[in-house]
Parts: sequence; structure tokens; C-alpha cells
Amino acid sequence: MMVAPALSLLLVFLLLPSIYVGWLSFQASTYGQHARFVGWANYATIFADPVFWRALGNTLVLVQVVVYGELLLALLLALLLAAPLRGKALIIALLLAPYAITETSAMAMWRYMLEPDVGLINQALVGIGLGQIDWVTQRWTALTVAGLIAVWHHLPFSFLIIYSAVTTVPRELMEAAEIDGARPWQRFRHVTLWVIMPALLVAVLFRTIFAVRLFSEIWLLTGGGPARLTEVLSVYLYRETFKYHEFGVASATGSIMLLLSLLVALPYLWRLYYRLVRGA
Amino acid sequence: MLTRRGILRAGAATTAMLAAPHIGRAAGKLSISCHAVHKKVITTGPGGDITEEWRKANGVEIEWLTFGVTAANERAFQEASLGEGHLDVTFLLDRFDGPQFATLFEDLGTWNAKTPIPDYAEFPQGMLDAHRFGSKQVGIPFRHATHGLHMNRTFMKERGIAGPPKTLDEAVADFRKLSFTRDGTKVYGLVFDMEDPSCAMDWVRAYGGDFITHDYKVVVDQPGAVKAMTTLHALFHEGVIPRNVVNMKTEDVITFMQQGRAAMTDQPFTRTFNYNDPKASKFPGQFEVTPLPLGVDGQPIPAKTSVWGMALPRNTSQKALAWSLVRHLSLPESTIRAAMNGNGPVRPSAYKDPRVIKSLPYAAQEAEALKHARLVVPGFANAAKAMDMFIEAMGAVLLDAKQPQAAMTELAARVRPLLPSA
Repeated sequence: MMVAPALSLLLVFLLLPSIYVGWLSFQASTYGQHARFVGWANYATIFADPVFWRALGNTLVLVQVVVYGELLLALLLALLLAAPLRGKALIIALLLAPYAITETSAMAMWRYMLEPDVGLINQALVGIGLGQIDWVTQRWTALTVAGLIAVWHHLPFSFLIIYSAVTTVPRELMEAAEIDGARPWQRFRHVTLWVIMPALLVAVLFRTIFAVRLFSEIWLLTGGGPARLTEVLSVYLYRETFKYHEFGVASATGSIMLLLSLLVALPYLWRLYYRLVRGA
Repeated sequence: MLTRRGILRAGAATTAMLAAPHIGRAAGKLSISCHAVHKKVITTGPGGDITEEWRKANGVEIEWLTFGVTAANERAFQEASLGEGHLDVTFLLDRFDGPQFATLFEDLGTWNAKTPIPDYAEFPQGMLDAHRFGSKQVGIPFRHATHGLHMNRTFMKERGIAGPPKTLDEAVADFRKLSFTRDGTKVYGLVFDMEDPSCAMDWVRAYGGDFITHDYKVVVDQPGAVKAMTTLHALFHEGVIPRNVVNMKTEDVITFMQQGRAAMTDQPFTRTFNYNDPKASKFPGQFEVTPLPLGVDGQPIPAKTSVWGMALPRNTSQKALAWSLVRHLSLPESTIRAAMNGNGPVRPSAYKDPRVIKSLPYAAQEAEALKHARLVVPGFANAAKAMDMFIEAMGAVLLDAKQPQAAMTELAARVRPLLPSA
């Protein structure tokens, strides 16, 4: 009975909308018309669209770059800042600052700084002879830039989780390992990593799910262009919903994204379950 | 004290309010959703507040809900889809409208038959057709945005260009001459946005091409459009058009022009106020706007136009009052006063009014451009998708991913199945 309110909320705000989206993905639906059952036609439309496959590829690449890039950076910073350090509070505050900036403002700022002719970053790069970052016409450059901005913006999330885990590593364990002759890398691998693994898995799990939905970084930087080359699944879904008003196709895209999130997150979920529930 | 009975009462009251949204609506209020520019040209400027007289006569206040272009149309469709909506009048742009949404709105032809708009026949048929699906008149035209060629006179003088280009060849030569570096700033000869095909269509039609004709034939794979793409590709690679044109939005074009980073653009005539704005522009008073030059066939290029219409959601509970306002805003005098406030007048006679001529320095040129103007695409259910495909194909051409002919042939093949007759 104690969990009934929480379960009710989950039912109303998550399960029922998910069932509705699943149902809608088998309908032809737009404003002003009754939904009409079309079977798997919406999925067939999506799978026949080359833009979808490109968006899927872009999404998968970005998820890997963003999640693991961010995790690695957050881990390094957490280990660095776990040691006694002057100005630690200020550094942590600076690290957390991007999270306080709204995505829209952040992207407007980056878009301006990366402007080919007058952007500060490109001007500086040209000044030192490295040439411009051609993110406006190059697909992979644009995606890399979007990925780096996503890492910059969401780093505080992973950092906080990992940093709090690193600070809980028992000092006695580390001292015992040191007395036993373990080198720094061995202490990290066999003590620290073991203790913080649940936190790492939680960070990876959440960031993976968020990264599959990555939208603002692409929409506000490139709009999915040029020539829809940098489109990701959430932008594809946005177009189907708000530009084409094809809610059946949009729901099918949403369902595919949900499935993709589950597939990508499944190994981490299993690992968490294995460690936490079965106590292995 | 919080009691179970109190919570139940509050819950019941909330449920009642949600179930009957009209209870929460103030009496004597009419809600309009539109773009910010509509509110501006209806209520602010030398023409004054056009609604004032109507509001006093009807004892009604107007609630303005203003949005960007996409959001204004989206909000209209969302509200009109509800059992009972909050909006009484909505403004729709032709290329967002479509036959599939016609059922959401009143047939204004019927309302006009009951209480006619004076001189209704003056509205150009093309503008009425932009919001007409089958026999249903979904919207009454209120504003048009027709493209002219904007140019920075300071740059033209510096580059030895005497006046606006008369022909397409002259225009292309001027774009090249006007690409230079000035005080360390790269100036581009031509800039336009690629949010949709509006700007590109001017140049496609300049070469005698088109995308989709008014009778729903795809002709983008014909020589005119291919030649236009070939020329734009050349200008892009010569640095006459900025490299980030592929990601440019209207706001970017305004910034480029105001900051002296571009010399010419094809945009709506009214945009000249932005370019010449002393508060925002580095070249106030230096921008001129003219109709587009003559095309390859020696005829005026059919400039792109778009038409905003006023529609009545079928679910409004104040239909008669809403029609009364639409009718008032469509009066010849209202059209003139809105034009004085910067609106693109949908009644051609407005351009001859001395007050409009005084308020709009480009009135004669815009009237001339309007005679030959065309919509970007005719209205059909998949218009938005087709336009996105055009931009995708054009981007592929500019970035060397595809040859112009191959890109346009592929585009035509993708678009044909989307057309109403297919």
C-alpha cells in the first residue's frame, strides 16, 4: 500500500501515455481527422526512408561519443578532485556551471562562437594557423561539435554522481592496498573502480537514455542540416510531429527510440541488477 | 485545517473547471492567435489601432496570443482540434495550411454570403485560393509577404555599380562584384535563408523553372531549375554566397544585412525597415529594395509571395463575433491603415492611397512585384515534406554531394508520390 501513490503516478504519467503512443503508431493520424488503423504501414514508411537510417546512425555514433567521452572525463576529474587540492571548491563550481545554463542559451552562444567568419573560436583558430572548423558543411565535423557541446553541457551530471562515489571509497581499503604493495593503477583498478562501479553504471544508464533523446544540440546548432545530414532520431521525430503533423509516423519513431534506449541500456541494467539485487 | 471533505470539495471544483473551460473565460473577450507582426500592424503605427472602433462598438477586448511562424500555425491546429477551443480567430500561413486541416475551420464563404465583406471581389483570386480547399474558403487574406531584391547602396557605390540590376545576368554579375573584403570583414554578394524553398524559388523561377506548378506537376527536374542550381552551386563555391547559407534562418539574413556582411538578398519588401533600422543596422538609410530583375525570358521574375489568412476555428463559441472582427479587418479602410503600419496589403487599391504611398517608400515597387508573384508551392497535404525534400536536395547540390541534374531528378521522383493526384 505504501507504494501505491508512486505506482499510480507511474501508471498515469508513464505507462498510459506509452500505451497510447504504441497504439497511435499503428494509426494514420493528423489534426482534424479520426485515427485510422494502418497496421505496420508507419513502420514500413520509416524503414523505407533513407533519412531515418542516417538519423539512426548519427544517433548511435553520438550516443557512444557523448556517453563514453563524458564518463571518461567525469571520472578523470572526479579522481583528480578527490585528492587534496587548493581551490577545489572553485574548480567544482566552474565544472558545474554549464548545468545552470539553459540549453537554448548555451547553443546560441556556441553557434555564435563557432560562426565561420566572425566567431571567436574560428577567428582564434585561423589566427594560430589551424584554419576554421567547418561545422556548417561537414557532416562529421558538425556531429563532433554537437557531441563536444553535449559533453560540456551534461558533464556536471556524470561528474557529480562519480565524484560523490569516489569520495566514499574507504580510506582504510586504499591504505591496506598500499601497504600490500599495490601500485596506483592497481589501487584504482582493484579498489576504487570496484567501489564506484554501481555509480558508474547509474551514470552510464541515465546518460545513455538521455543521449538517445539528444535534440537541442543538433536542432539549435544545425537544424539537422545541411541536407538533413546531421539529423538525429529526436529531430526526425520532431519533423514528423510538428512539421508534417503525421502523428502515427511520429509515434512509431518514438516507439523505435524507446526500444533503442532499452536495447542500449539493457547490458547496464542487467549489470546493475546482477550487482545490486543478486549481490554478486 | 486540511480535512478530507475539504480536499474532496477542492477536487470537485477543479474537475468542474477543467470540464468546462469556457467558465474560466472572461465575458466580452475575443482571443486571437497570430504572429507578432500581425498584432503590430493591426494595433501600432501611423495607421493607429484598427480594432479600436470595433472593440468599442462591440464592448469586447482582444486577447492577443503571439508566436513565431511555425508555432502560430501549430497552435491554431492544436486548439482547433479540441472539443472546445480557446481561440476565436487564428492566422494561418498558406504553406502551413492544407486540405487535411480544412475540417477544423469554418467555411468563410458561407459567412461572407450572410454578411459580406465590402468589395470582396477586390481580393486577388490567387490570394483567396491560397486558403481555399475545394469549395471551402478556410481563410480570408490579411497579409502578403512578397519578395523584392534588397541591396546596400554604400557597397554598390564602392564597387562601381550604378543602380539596381535590370536583368538576371546583371544581377549575377553584381553578386560577384559585391563579394569583397571591406575593413577586414568579408562581404558576400548574395545571402538568403534555407529554412524553406522561398528564397531559392525566386532564382529557380528566374531561370524559367519551378518546383511544383499550380496544377500539381513536378517540374523541378526540367532545365530551368537545374540551371538555377548550377548557378547557385557556382556562386557558393566562389564565395559569393556564405558557406553557412545551408543552415541560415531569416534572423541570420537580417543580421548579415544589418552588419554589412552581405550586399544583396531576396526577402519580403517590408524587411527594408529592419535593414534600415538606425538602432540595429550599421547602414541605416542605405538599403534600397526593388522588384526582382527580369528573368532569362526577359519577363519579370515571379517573386515568391506568401499569404497569411484569418480563419475561424470550428470549435469557437463566438463565431458571429469572430466573423465580425475578420470582416472589420478586411474592410478597404482597415487594409489601408494596416498597410500604413507596415502590412503587405491584400487589396491592390491600397497601394494607390496617398497615406500608404507616404508610409511605405516601396509601395509602387511592391505593387509591381505582386502582379507577377507566386506562392512557393500550391497547397496540398504533403507540402511541408516536399519543401523539406527540396532544401535537402539543394543542400546536396551546394555541398557537392550530388550533381544538379541528378539531385533534381531524384527530388522529382521523391515528390511525385506525395502529390494529390498521385
